[in-house]
Amino acid sequence: MSLRDIAVRVEASPASRIGGIRPILHEIRTLLAALIDTGRGGSIDLRSLPLSPADFEALDAALGEGEVRATIRALGETRVTETAIHGVWRVTHCNDGGEAVADLIEVCDAPEILKTHAADARVGLAKLRTRLEPG
Amino acid sequence: MTGVELLNWARGPGLQIALVVFIVGVAIRFIEMWLLGKSPDFAEARGSAAAGGWRTLFTRSLPMPGALKRAPLVFLGGYVFHIGFFITFLFYAPHILFLRAVTGFSWPALPAYLIDVIGLVSIAALVAVLVHRLTDPVRRFLSRTGDYVAWAATFLPLLTGYFAYHRLVTDYTTMLALHVLSFELLLVLIPLTKLMHTFTFAVSRWYNGAIAGRKGVKV
Amino acid sequence: MHEPETLGDVLAKRGVSRRGFLKYCATLASLMALPPSVAAQMADKLTRATRQSVIYLSFQECTGCLESLSRTHSPTLEGLLFDLISLDYQETLLAAAGHAAEEARANAMRANSGKFVLMVDGAIPLKDGGVYSTIAGRTNIEILKEAVPHAAAVIAVGTCSSFGGLPHANPNPTGAVSVGTLMEKGLIERKPLINVSGCPPIPVVISGVVAHFLTLGTLPELDGYGRPKVFFGDTIHDRCYRRPFYDQGKFAKTFDDEGARNGWCLYELGCKGPTTYNACATAKWNGGVSFPIESGHGCLGCSEPDFWDAGSFYAPLPAPRAPLSAAAGAAIAVGVAAGAAVGLAGLYKRKKAQQAHTKLTVDDLETEKKP
Repeated sequence: MSLRDIAVRVEASPASRIGGIRPILHEIRTLLAALIDTGRGGSIDLRSLPLSPADFEALDAALGEGEVRATIRALGETRVTETAIHGVWRVTHCNDGGEAVADLIEVCDAPEILKTHAADARVGLAKLRTRLEPG
Repeated sequence: MTGVELLNWARGPGLQIALVVFIVGVAIRFIEMWLLGKSPDFAEARGSAAAGGWRTLFTRSLPMPGALKRAPLVFLGGYVFHIGFFITFLFYAPHILFLRAVTGFSWPALPAYLIDVIGLVSIAALVAVLVHRLTDPVRRFLSRTGDYVAWAATFLPLLTGYFAYHRLVTDYTTMLALHVLSFELLLVLIPLTKLMHTFTFAVSRWYNGAIAGRKGVKV
Repeated sequence: MHEPETLGDVLAKRGVSRRGFLKYCATLASLMALPPSVAAQMADKLTRATRQSVIYLSFQECTGCLESLSRTHSPTLEGLLFDLISLDYQETLLAAAGHAAEEARANAMRANSGKFVLMVDGAIPLKDGGVYSTIAGRTNIEILKEAVPHAAAVIAVGTCSSFGGLPHANPNPTGAVSVGTLMEKGLIERKPLINVSGCPPIPVVISGVVAHFLTLGTLPELDGYGRPKVFFGDTIHDRCYRRPFYDQGKFAKTFDDEGARNGWCLYELGCKGPTTYNACATAKWNGGVSFPIESGHGCLGCSEPDFWDAGSFYAPLPAPRAPLSAAAGAAIAVGVAAGAAVGLAGLYKRKKAQQAHTKLTVDDLETEKKP
């Protein structure tokens, strides 16, 4: 049983709109331009910004949904989606109760967490070797 | 002493002490004035004292014609900081909550950013009148320590309030404590200094008109 | 002695992939207000570090802090804290009891002398020789005196050990004080001290401090109250998503009015967010679900010293801490009496002056001329 099982949903009241999403969109624009020019994008930590549930909805609506949607299962789910703006990703880390613990916008070719780390690749190689061993 | 301890003291015993000194002091001064009274006037009244009193209470609060030309800085600075001080004191949301807790009355607040601007303008006006007082030879000659104390007591609540609102100088809690303490200092100093004019201005303005009114003269 | 295990080894054994750990570091970086790009470097450095030995002592406390830290089951994101550290002694979590437990503490302290981090939970009573809280017949202060000199650093977990908390609240019957006060008074040795206040503190703040210690080898920068600035640098109010309503003057007046439903500011309902420095508004609680204000209740100010003595939780911050009517009533009575006395004295003085006054006559003028 996790908190998600509780049948109470937060409804974003339109009156709770704070209107803080325009600066975020501008920052994304700057980061995306930098990604094209220098190859280095950047990320925005949405948790550190004072956003109401209605603002989150507005932000999602403004960015839209793109072509890629990935789910990573490592210590709870992590949802990675490319927004309708290519190169702009939403990365939401959840714990194994399904509650979001970090919410990032990453402006990059592909988020770091999607890539396989060398250490993990070595573990994979070792696993494969044992499987190939005759026996 | 930490900021929180200071704030707890200011919101508790400090406030009680300040309020008691303020009430006792103002009561003493008013009752003393009332008991001393004025000499009986045996002359026959030629007009209504009360009507004249009420009229000057109002008219003397309006700008004097020609004052703006004669002493523009004192005129503007004086009006701006008096009005600004009372707007920030009476219409900033947290102040209304304080007054509601003390008096039981409340009223709508002005937006914080407006109070911010008015507060800053009031601070500027107070600084201007102080500079004028210090540079003008006549005003400087007439000023006593009490005048500077009264100026500082009025200035500090505005300054600490502005600092607290903008998170300047030190942490918010400590600045808020200093703000409350500066207000308490103002309360204590009102009956002890010329700041008593907060109340007596009405009495003196009334008398100006009442004396003349009884003699049938309009002033 | 065997080669110390690195954190990477521990994680590998636990089946935690680098992705999982990167994710953990991303949440930590987010909390520590570090740029999200730091997460990868942090993950790299942490996997090569050895686990930090920790000894956890509990004094006048309610175990709420430990509940907060150990709330989740391993291996979860928050549970990774217990992979960062090697918790060598904690009474509540220890399987052993009695003499065996006491021995475990002595052993852990000896084995890691000078290297372990000492976590202290709860206030320490000093009144009557400290008899109000004892473990195995020894007072809290005795135990602390013995442990502190061997520690590399001390982390005061929770408001009680940071500032005295509930035991210290007025009238403080046991003479409870914080770890910091003991160091100031010279009752225990001075060591680097980090106050992680909160009732309870946010669990990830602890892991953040430990992660900082492990990745950088230093203690984080502290504020005037000895709290890590990265977590306690801003007030709840400054980081609150309801802050714009405060600025617009939109307040909930009761807990169930239109304003409350619209999620307006809770300042008038006693929210102490403006004077409370903590990370609740960004780190949030229950694995990031929400924090008190998001759930519709004002901040109590639990990470601040003496928050228990700051008046009602439901009285707005500007309201006086205690009712003023009694004092005001007494002041009016005294003022009227004193005013009457001063006034009457003035009248008497005037009368005397009038009586003493003699009118100048022509004779007086004549006599003056004579000599």
